[in-house]
Amino acid sequence: MAGIGFELRKLLNRGTFVSVLQAYGAASIISSGPWIVSILGIFAIGVMTSTTGEDWSSTFVGEFQVSVTYLMSFSLILTGPLQFLLARFVSDRHYEKRDDLILPNLFGAISLVTLVSGSLAAVLLSCCFSASWLYRVLMLAGFVLLSNIWIVVVLLSAAKAWKLILTAFVAGYAITVSVAMALRTYGPEGLLFGFVAGNGLLLFALLALVARTYPSPRMLAFGFLRRAHVFPSLAFTGLFYNFAIWADKFIFWFNPMTGQTVLPPLRSSPIYDLPIFLAYLSIVPGMTVFLVRIETDFSVHCERFYRSIRRGATLDQIQNAKTEMVASVRQGIYDIFKVQGMTVLTLIAFGPQLLAWVGIPPLYRLLLNVDLVAVGVQMLLLAILNVLFYLDQRRIALLLTGFFAVSNIGFTALTQLLGPAAYGYGFAVSVALTAIVGLVLLSRKLERLEYETFMLQRS
Amino acid sequence: MGRKKTPAADIALLLEGTYPYVRGGVSGWVHELISGLPEYTFSLVFLGATRDSVGAMRYELPDNVVSLSSHYLMEPWNLKPGRSRQGDAHCFADVNELHESFRQPDAGFDEKVLGRVLGCLGKNGQLGPKDFLFSESSWRSICDGYTRFAAGASFIDYFWTVRNMHSALFRLADIAHEVAPARAFHSVSTGYAGFLGALFHNLTGRPLIVTEHGIYTKERKIDIQAAYIQDSRGILADPSETGMEYHHHLWIQFFEGIGRIIYAAADPVIALYEKNRQRQILDGAEASRTQVIPNGIELEGLVHVRAQRADNIPPVLGLIGRIVPIKDIKTFIRAMRAVCARLPKAEGWLIGPEDEDPEYARECRDLVSSLGLDENVKFLGFQDITTVLPKLGLLVLTSISEAFPLVLLEAFATGLPAVTTDVGACREIIEGSGDEDRALGAAGAVVPIASPEATAQAALELLMDAPRWRAAQRAGLQRVERYYTQAGVLAHYREIYQRAINH
Repeated sequence: MAGIGFELRKLLNRGTFVSVLQAYGAASIISSGPWIVSILGIFAIGVMTSTTGEDWSSTFVGEFQVSVTYLMSFSLILTGPLQFLLARFVSDRHYEKRDDLILPNLFGAISLVTLVSGSLAAVLLSCCFSASWLYRVLMLAGFVLLSNIWIVVVLLSAAKAWKLILTAFVAGYAITVSVAMALRTYGPEGLLFGFVAGNGLLLFALLALVARTYPSPRMLAFGFLRRAHVFPSLAFTGLFYNFAIWADKFIFWFNPMTGQTVLPPLRSSPIYDLPIFLAYLSIVPGMTVFLVRIETDFSVHCERFYRSIRRGATLDQIQNAKTEMVASVRQGIYDIFKVQGMTVLTLIAFGPQLLAWVGIPPLYRLLLNVDLVAVGVQMLLLAILNVLFYLDQRRIALLLTGFFAVSNIGFTALTQLLGPAAYGYGFAVSVALTAIVGLVLLSRKLERLEYETFMLQRS
Repeated sequence: MGRKKTPAADIALLLEGTYPYVRGGVSGWVHELISGLPEYTFSLVFLGATRDSVGAMRYELPDNVVSLSSHYLMEPWNLKPGRSRQGDAHCFADVNELHESFRQPDAGFDEKVLGRVLGCLGKNGQLGPKDFLFSESSWRSICDGYTRFAAGASFIDYFWTVRNMHSALFRLADIAHEVAPARAFHSVSTGYAGFLGALFHNLTGRPLIVTEHGIYTKERKIDIQAAYIQDSRGILADPSETGMEYHHHLWIQFFEGIGRIIYAAADPVIALYEKNRQRQILDGAEASRTQVIPNGIELEGLVHVRAQRADNIPPVLGLIGRIVPIKDIKTFIRAMRAVCARLPKAEGWLIGPEDEDPEYARECRDLVSSLGLDENVKFLGFQDITTVLPKLGLLVLTSISEAFPLVLLEAFATGLPAVTTDVGACREIIEGSGDEDRALGAAGAVVPIASPEATAQAALELLMDAPRWRAAQRAGLQRVERYYTQAGVLAHYREIYQRAINH
C-alpha cells in the first residue's frame, strides 16, 4: 500500500542529513498531528474566551473545556472495542485483497456507533443534566460525531493515510475555532456549536477520504459483526486500553478532595487536569520515532519474516529474518526511550521558564514533571502493544491492557490516600509497570516465535 | 467408542487400502485366504486415507469374519493448540535415538528403546498427538533433523512433510488401544498396517505375521505424491513453489524406518518369491524369520481346459494383460515381426482391455499397421481365459514390471509354456526356485526386458522345436501342481496360524 511508511522509507533511504530531517519532520507532523491539533484547538478557544486574561489555567476548567473532555473520554472508551475490532477486520480484508468490503462495513459500523452512542447520550443527557436543551442537543451531536470520528480514523490509520488524516483535522479544527470565536458571545452553547460544526466537517472529510481510498459498489454491510471476524480479546483490549488512560482522571474528578462540579453532573480536577494535558503535548518526538521505527522499519521486517516462511525459505533464512525483526523492535524501543527521554529531561530542566512563559502557576511544576515521564513511558507501551498486534499476540495484549487498567485504578486510589505529594505517581507507576511487564512478555514471545508460529497452529 | 462384546478372533487381518473396499490382486488373495480357512475366525482392521476416499464394500464377507473395523489415517485432527508445552524429554530422546539408528541401515537398533517408544506412542503427556504437534521438544527434534539432513530445503515443506507422515502413527496408536485384541495379528503389507501390527505385538505380546505382496515404498509412490500435493496446501505453505523430490525421499526413508520396526516385531516375514525375500533381508529382516509362500491357483477348474487343447502346437503367441505401457505391448508387437519373418502363419493375440490408456492402445495399433502385421496381430479385448488359453501355442509376457503374475500359473495348468521378461517372480516361476524345483526343468524361457529380438528368438525356439515345447509343457504342469496350488498355500498358512495361536 502506498502509505506514508513507503514515502518515509524513500526519504530515509536517500540518506542525506536533510532527507533524514525531512523524514522525521514529516513523521512528527503526521503521527502526533491530529492529537496536537485537537488539544491546541480546545486550548485556543479557552485562551481566546478567557475573561481574566492573566491566569488562563482557570479557563481550562471552564464549562466548554470540561464538556469536550467528557465527550472525548466517553466516546473513546465507548468505541474502544469497535476501534480494535475494525482495525483487525480492515487489515484482514486487505490481506485477502477484499478492499471492496471495507467501505460498506465502515458504513455498517457508523450506523451501529450512531445508534448506540446516540441512544446512550440521549438517555444520560435527559436524565442527569440540568443545562439548557440547546446545550444537551449539541452535546449529543458532539458525542455521536466524535465516536464516529474515532472509528473512521482507525480505518484510515490502518491504511496509513496519515497525511490525509492530518489535513482533515487541521481543517476541522480551523472551523471549530473560527465558528466558536464568532459565537463566543452565546456562552458554552456557542463554543459547542463551533465544536460540532468543525467535527461534523471533519467526519465528512474523513468519510470522503475512505470512500476514495476503498471504492466499493456496495453501501452497507455488517460483516464485521460476524462471529468469525469478532475477536473478543481484541474488543476487551480496546476497552481496557481506553479506560486505563482515563481511569486516574475519573478518580481525580470524582473525589471531593480533588475534584469540583463544573456543570452538573460534569466534574473536573483543577489541580490534576492541566498538567496531564500539557504533558500530552510532549509526545511529538516519541510519536515520530514510533512511526518511523515501528510502523515503518519493524512492520517491513515483520512482513519479511512471515513471507520468508510462506515462500519456502530455509530455517537459516527464517531465523535471520527473525533476528532482523527482533533487532528492529529493539532499535525502535531504544530510540523511543532515547528520544522521548531527552525530550522529557529537557522539558523538566526548562520547565519553570516554560511555565512562566505561557503563564501557568509554578505550583503545577512537580505534577507536570511526573506526568511528562508517565506520558513518555506511555509511548513505549504503545510501541510494545503495536508490536504485539503485528505478531497477533492478542492474549498478551489483553493481559497488558487489563493490567494497565487495574493498576491505574489501584495506584491512583493509593496516591489519593497518600496526599497531594503523591498525585500523578499513580498513573506513572501504573504505566511504567505495564511497560516493563510488556517488555518482559514481548521478549519471551520473540524468543519462542518460530516455535509458536509453526507448532501452535490448529491441526 | 463402545466396544462390542465380540469373542476375540483367532486372527486379526490388518489391511491397508485393500480388502474389502477395493478390488484387486491382494484383495482377491485375502478373500481366498479367509474362505479357504473356515476353521479360523478373522477380525478385519481396514485402514483407509479419508472417509470420502473409501466406497462401498466390494466383497461379501465370509461367515468366519467376526468383525470389521474401518479407520481413516489422513482425516484432519481438529486439535486446538492451546498453550505451549514442553513435551516429555525422555520420550523424545528415545525417539531421536531410534531415528539415529534408522539413519545407519547396517547397524541394528536397541529393541528396548523401540519398546519404550511404542509404549509411549499415543499417550498424551508422553508421545501423544498433542505432544507431537505442539510441544517444544517436538519442535527441537524437527529443527535438529532439518539442520543436519535437509538444511538447504524449504523449511515449511520439510515441516509439513514430517508432520503429515508421522501423524498417521498417532492414529494407529489409538487404533491399537481401541480394537479388541486377537490371538495373532497378520498384516498383508508393511507400511501403516504393518506398523499397527508392531504396535499390537508390543501391546499384547501376541505374534505378528507379515506377508508382503510387493514392495511397499514402490507401490506407495503414487500415494506419496498425492499426499505431497495435499500437504502443500498447509496453512502457511505457498503452493507455487514445490520442489517435491527431497520430500519424496523423506517419505521413502520414513517407510524404510517403519519397515525395520515391523521386521523387528514380525515372525514369520513372508514373501511371495525368493527375490523379494532377499530384498526383505537387505531391508533389515532377520533371515531366519523370512520364508517364501508363493501364490497358488485352483487346479480343478482348469483340468478340463487342458483337455480342449489340440494335438499340434498352434503358432499363436498370446499376451494376456491390459494394453498399458507397463506391459510393454510394443516390444511384443516388434517381436511378432521377427517371428512372422520366420513363421509367416504365426499370430499374435493381445488379450486384455484397452480402455485404461486409449492413447497408448492407439499407438500400438499404429505400430502394428506400420510394421505390416495387420493380418498377424489381433486385438481381442477382454476374453475368458478358459476359452482362449487352449487356442494359444505360447504365453508371452513382455512387462517391464510384474510382481507375481498368476496368469503364468494358469497357463501352466492348461499345458501352455511361457516366455517372460526377467521381472518379479517370473524367473522363479519359469525355471524353478531351489534345487528340487529347478530339477523339473524350464517351463518356457526368460528374456531381458525391452528386447524384441531375444523374445522372438526364444518364442521360435519353443514353437519350432516340438520335443522342447512338450518338455516345457510337462515342467510347467508338474511345477504348478507341486508348488503353486491354492491348497498348498492354504496348508502353509494353516500351519503358520496354528503355530501363532498356540504361541
